[in-house]
Amino acid sequence: MSAALLEEFGRGDAREREESWRYSKMALRSLSQQNFVAADTGAELPETLRAQFDWHETRGRRVVVVNGVVSERYSDFADVGAMVTVGETGGTIAVRIDGRIDEPVHVVYVGVPSAQPSRWQASTAMVVVNGFAHMIEQHLGVDGAGVLGSVRRRIDLGDGARLDLVSVCDLPESVSLYRLLDVHLGAKATLHATHVLLGGRMQRLDMQVELAGEQARLESRGVFALRGRTHADTQLDVRHIARDTACDIVWRGVADQRARGIFHGAITVAEGADGSDAKLSNKNLLLSAQAEIDTQPVLEIYADEVKAAHGATVGQIDERALFYLRSRGIPLAEARRMMMTAFCREVLEGITDLDLRNRLAGLLTLQLDGGGS
Amino acid sequence: MLKIENLHVRVAGKEILKGLSLEVKAGEVHAIMGPNGAGKSTLGNVLAGREGYEVTEGSVVYEGKYLLELEPEERAAEGVFLAFQYPVEIPGVNNTYFLRAALNAQRKHRGEAELDSMQFLKRVREKLAVLHLKDELLHRAVNEGFSGGGKKRNEIFQMALLEPKLAILDETDSGLDIDALKMVADGVNAMRSSERAFLVVTHYQRLLDYIVPDVVHVLADGRIVETGDASLAHKLEEHGYAWIAERKLVGAA
Repeated sequence: MSAALLEEFGRGDAREREESWRYSKMALRSLSQQNFVAADTGAELPETLRAQFDWHETRGRRVVVVNGVVSERYSDFADVGAMVTVGETGGTIAVRIDGRIDEPVHVVYVGVPSAQPSRWQASTAMVVVNGFAHMIEQHLGVDGAGVLGSVRRRIDLGDGARLDLVSVCDLPESVSLYRLLDVHLGAKATLHATHVLLGGRMQRLDMQVELAGEQARLESRGVFALRGRTHADTQLDVRHIARDTACDIVWRGVADQRARGIFHGAITVAEGADGSDAKLSNKNLLLSAQAEIDTQPVLEIYADEVKAAHGATVGQIDERALFYLRSRGIPLAEARRMMMTAFCREVLEGITDLDLRNRLAGLLTLQLDGGGS
Repeated sequence: MLKIENLHVRVAGKEILKGLSLEVKAGEVHAIMGPNGAGKSTLGNVLAGREGYEVTEGSVVYEGKYLLELEPEERAAEGVFLAFQYPVEIPGVNNTYFLRAALNAQRKHRGEAELDSMQFLKRVREKLAVLHLKDELLHRAVNEGFSGGGKKRNEIFQMALLEPKLAILDETDSGLDIDALKMVADGVNAMRSSERAFLVVTHYQRLLDYIVPDVVHVLADGRIVETGDASLAHKLEEHGYAWIAERKLVGAA
């Protein structure tokens, strides 16, 4: 049963798939036992949901995708300039950006339930020819009979191009999402990606990054904050193909109650990719005895001159620090929140847009707040 | 202000305090001296409410309240402050943010109005000036990357800002050079008042040259074995702790 779902998400051979789904096998199996109907692409969005993405700073530059289909009704891209061209071939939305766009483009994916469990898919191919693009991706859902979404996105960054991607996935416990992000970077191209993963019955992010041109650079920041019975699985697969390429990966994770978090960070430095610099840091906090976090950094090096550093930890909140804060008069719940927020916020520091950074910090705090009880 | 009676405390199954009694009145400075392993730090930690300390017997009454029944944050709001022997580094938590949260949490607990950021900063600047501290420590994370002396200075700065009624200094002098030691002493002396008491826990008499105590206690093997005035500290420095132990033996014989 799971095989059919995997086929649809599909990548790699069967064995690779099986290994990478090791910690999410049960979650996948329980999804595959459901009979999904096609999601309603014309679904109405409740006001409370619209409020979650109707940010004043992205008005006029917003694309809203309802159950996998771009919604004319809710989208608002009056101000997206001529540097962006959008087309569609064989069900894939093709976006081409040629030039410099300083204002962020806001892409919102919404999963809205039907009477029965439903599913949707979307596929995007994006090319940034040169210059700079800033994209905010937001995944939201409405609680109900259950929705399973699947998004495949291919991004090509041309020589010297830079993409700043901020992706927030804030899902209720009945909504699941599979994401494949496949990025190819040309010479001197840079991807700065920040992922925030909150909630979801099962959310999985497969992020493949190919540093194909010399001096290409990936800066990946990410954090998951989970509670209840939510499940989030991130699989990074970074390949240094060309010389003098760099990756700098900093991820954090917090799991409370019965939540489950998985982080797998694989870096491969191919033969000939000398001068490459690979850094990976992954730290996690377990807030309850029933929560579980699995982390696995994997470094494979086939080149001679390489700088590489990686570290992964799973720990508990520092009791000494907690006592220190309390001894100064800060109540336990607030002391915990201060420490968890500090722990998670580190990954947001690369976001230069302060409004956006504060929005994300606010979402994280909101999520962690409930976890304190 | 503080009355400790027959306090017995176990740490990891081992009895550390074995019937400690002590009374501190408002306005007084008490020094607690003693050899390593006597239970000096245990006393400070128990009073501040650290976990892992099992009180098996005895009582602690502070300002008419059973102190041991209060949560650590409640004790702080009631005016108890512990200057840590080993202040903790808290990466990612800004010092100013932390101090304002602490001060306002205490004020809220006491039913006082919280300070806005302008009022708070005004107060911070006053205290920094009194202690001759630079404001760079405000911009950093709590104790992160501070030197040993820097951490102790930050403890005294916090004490000055929070204005506790009962301040416990747990070996604040350890590892300090003479300048830092004087700064700590000046900070304490500037705060001495008829409404405030200090419990200065130290291994050496040196700090007590600068903070002259009203009462000196010698803590050995979990009990107060000797109490005297400031001159007792000098006698100890001269004769060493073994002198006390010998005198006890002679007295018992």
